[in-house]
Amino acid sequence: MENAINEILHATRGRILESDIVTGKNRELYVHLEEKDFETVINFLSEHNFELAGLFCAEDFDGHEGHMLFYAFEKKGNEWITIFTLPLRMKRAMSIALTYPSASWYQREITDGFGVTFAESFDERRLFLHETYPEDFHPLQKTFKNKEIKLDAETNPSLAYEFKKVSGEGVYEIPVGPVHAGIIEPGHFRFSVIGETIYNLEIRMFYKHRGIEKLAEGKTPAECVKIAESISGDETVANAVAYCTAVEKISGIEVPLRAEHLRTAYLEMERIYSLLGDLAGMCIDVAFPVGASPFFVLREEVLRQNKALTGSRFMKDTIAIGGLKKDAPKGTLDALQAFLDDLRDGLKDAVSDVLASTSTIDRFQTTGVVRKELIAPLHITGPIARASGTLTDTRIDHPYGLYDKIRPAPRIFEAGDVLARFETKASEVLDCARMIDEAVTGLRHGEILTKGDIKDGYAIAPIESARGQSMHWAYIKNGLIDRYKIRTASFCNWQAIEHAVIGNIVPDFPLINKSMNLSYAGTDL
Amino acid sequence: MNIDANYVAYAFLNTAFIILISPLFMGVAKIVKAQAQGRIGPPLLQPYYNLLKLAQKERVYSNKSSAITKITPYINITIMIVASLGIPLAFAPENSGGLGNIILLLYLLAMGRFFMAAAGLDAGSTFGGMGSSREMSISSIIEPITIIVFAALAFTLNTMDMHQMFQTAAQEMSFLNPALILVSIPLFIVLIVETARVPVDNPETHLELTMIHETMLLEYAGRDLALMELSHAIKQTMLMAILINILVPWGYAREFTAPAVIIGMLLFLAKGIILATFIGLTESSMAKMRLFALPNLFIIAFFLSMLTILLEVFR
Repeated sequence: MENAINEILHATRGRILESDIVTGKNRELYVHLEEKDFETVINFLSEHNFELAGLFCAEDFDGHEGHMLFYAFEKKGNEWITIFTLPLRMKRAMSIALTYPSASWYQREITDGFGVTFAESFDERRLFLHETYPEDFHPLQKTFKNKEIKLDAETNPSLAYEFKKVSGEGVYEIPVGPVHAGIIEPGHFRFSVIGETIYNLEIRMFYKHRGIEKLAEGKTPAECVKIAESISGDETVANAVAYCTAVEKISGIEVPLRAEHLRTAYLEMERIYSLLGDLAGMCIDVAFPVGASPFFVLREEVLRQNKALTGSRFMKDTIAIGGLKKDAPKGTLDALQAFLDDLRDGLKDAVSDVLASTSTIDRFQTTGVVRKELIAPLHITGPIARASGTLTDTRIDHPYGLYDKIRPAPRIFEAGDVLARFETKASEVLDCARMIDEAVTGLRHGEILTKGDIKDGYAIAPIESARGQSMHWAYIKNGLIDRYKIRTASFCNWQAIEHAVIGNIVPDFPLINKSMNLSYAGTDL
Repeated sequence: MNIDANYVAYAFLNTAFIILISPLFMGVAKIVKAQAQGRIGPPLLQPYYNLLKLAQKERVYSNKSSAITKITPYINITIMIVASLGIPLAFAPENSGGLGNIILLLYLLAMGRFFMAAAGLDAGSTFGGMGSSREMSISSIIEPITIIVFAALAFTLNTMDMHQMFQTAAQEMSFLNPALILVSIPLFIVLIVETARVPVDNPETHLELTMIHETMLLEYAGRDLALMELSHAIKQTMLMAILINILVPWGYAREFTAPAVIIGMLLFLAKGIILATFIGLTESSMAKMRLFALPNLFIIAFFLSMLTILLEVFR
C-alpha cells in the first residue's frame, strides 16, 4: 500500500496530497481530484504509464450530491487499483479520450446513461441508446425509475447514427448485421473496402442492451448474484465471483478455504470450455471441421463435468456471497481429476493435428495482427494481449481468491496474429487443467459458505474472465445495491478488432472475429 | 444434325438418370464429411427431401429485384439439362448430334455462370454483389485453364466431341494411358472449382463474408432455390462423369441395348459414389485457401494440362 501511495504522489508531482487518498476495501485507493487539477493529473498519469482500466459515473455517491466520475487506473507491477474520483458541479467534464483512447466508449456510455457531457471529445454519438430512444432520456439517473418507456414511433433524423465515411475511388461499404446468418448475437459491422481489402471497420453494438446496471439498483446484494450471472452466459462464474468478491470485501466476509478451492476450479473450468469453443471455431471458420471436432468433443465433456459438479452445464446458481450455494457431490471431484488427464492428452493431439495442417497454418498466419502498441492505449486484455507479446493477466496482476498460491503460468506469443491467438488459447487450456488439478488436490473438508451481515460501502473487484479482465464495482447503500458498474473484457477488446482487420481481406474477417470471440451480451449489458 | 429414335431414347434416359442421381452424390459427400468429423451425418436421401421441401415452399422476392431473379433458376436448369445431353453418363448413341462438342459445353457453363452472377447482383444486396464479383474474378482465371484442360483432353483422344471421347476411352481402356492419368488431376481441380468446394469455397458455411457460390443464392427461396440447387448438383455430376468416363470407363455401354445400358448405369452409380467419397475426403483433409491464394491451385491445373499437351505433341 505504501508503495502504491508513493507512486501516485510521485507521479502527480504535488498536485495530490496524501490526505486526498483514501484506502478502499479491496486493494484500491480512492484519490480525490479537483476539476482544476484534473487535466494536469491525467497527463502526469499518462506520462507515468498508468493504464485506464475503467471509467464510470455514480450519482449521489457517499454523501456527495450530484454526479461523480470514477477513473480507475492500474499500473504494471502494482497490485493496487487507483480510482480517481472527480465530483462534477455541472454535468460537464473534460474528455480524456485524446490521452486515453479507450475512454471514448466510456464517455459516450456515461453521456447516454447520466446526461453528463464531455468537452473536446472527438466522438459524441450515442453508444448504448440507439436512435429509437427519446432525447433527454438518461436511464441511469436516479430520477428515472425502472419502468417501460415509450419509444419514438419515428426516429429523429438528427439522432441517426453516422458511420465514418471513407471516400475515394473504388471505396464501397459493406454493412453486415445486426442479424447474422449463424446463431450468434447481434452486432453491426460496417466495412469500407476497396476490392476485398478492408480500409476501415466500424463496429456498432448494444442491440442487446438489457439495462443490467439499472436492473441491479434497489435490489438486495443476494438478489444481484443472479443478475451478475446473466451478464454473459459463458462468463457466469467469472462475473458471479467478481460481484460476490466485491460484496464480500465491502462486508468483510471471509470465504471459507474449501469454497475458494472450488471457486478456482469452477473459474478454470469455465475458462477451459470457453477456450475450447474458440479453438474449434477458428478451425470451422477456415473450413477445416475435421480439425475442429475434437475440440467440440472435449468441450462437451467439460460441460458434462460441470453438470456433475454443480448441476448446471454453465455452472449457473452455484456461486453465493460468502462462498458457494452447494458443495460438489461425492465422487465428482475424483472423476474430474481423472478426466483432466484425458483432456490434456486429447487437447495435445487435437492441437498438433491442426498445427500439422499446412493449409490451416497458411490461413492463420499473418491474419488479423493486433499490434503490441495498441494493447495499453485500448486496454486490451486476456488471450488477445498475451498473443501480442504482452504479459497481462488479472490473476497475476491483481491476484484474487487463491491465485496468489495457485499461480497461472501463461505463455506469451509475440506475433499477434490468429495463429498466435490459437496457440495462446491452446496453451492456456493446459495451464487451466493444471490449476484445477492443484485446486482439487489441495481441497480439505470444511464449510463452503460463510454467512455474514451485508454492510454498506463500495469496492472494486477485477477478475480474469476467459476473454480478459473484467471489473465489477458495487456500491451498497442502506443494505441495497445503489450502483453496480460492470466493465467486461469484451467492452474494451471489441476495439482491437477494428484495428486488427485493417489491411486484411473481407473473407478473413469471420476468422479474425472468431479468434477473439468476444461477447456481445457482455458488452451491451 | 440428324436426330434418330435412338438419340431421343438416349436423351430421355440420360436426362432422367442425371437428375435422379445428382442429389445422391451431394448426399454422399455430405455423409463422408460428417463421418470424417466423427458425426453421423444426414440420411443418404436428405438432398432429395430438401429439394421436395423447398419445392413446396413459397418463393419470396426482394422488392428491388427484376425479372432476372425470376427467370434465372429456369434458365440455369435448362442450361444444365442441355449441357448434360453432351455428356453421356453410361452409354452414348451413335451420333452425338453435335451436342457433345466441348466448346459448346464450356460456353453453356459460362452462360449459366453469367446468369447466376447477374441474379446475385439483381436484388442489390451487399452479399449477392460480393459473391458475383468474386465468382467473376475466379472464373476469369479458371475459364482459360478449363479450356487448356479440355484442349489437353481433345489432344489426347483426338476429338472435340465428348461422346466420341468416351467411346474412344472405353475402347482403348485408357487408364493405361499416362496422359489421361495426368490430365485427370486438372480435371479434378476444375471439378472442385466449378462445384464450389473446399479449398476454393465452403458449401457448409454460414459466414456470408467468406462465401462465393452460396452468396449468389442468398436471395432465393422455395422452388427457385430447389431449381438452383438441382442445377448445381447436375453440374457436379456432369464434371464427375467426364472424369469417370475418361479415367475408368469400365462397363461403359458400347452398344445401345437394355442390359448394357443398365449395367453401365449401375457401374456409373458405383463409380460416382466412390468419386463423391473421394471428394468428401479431399474436402475434409484441408482448410479453405485464402481467396487471393486460389490462383496457386489453378496454376497446378494449368501446368499439368500443358504438360499433357506437350507429351502428346512429342509422343
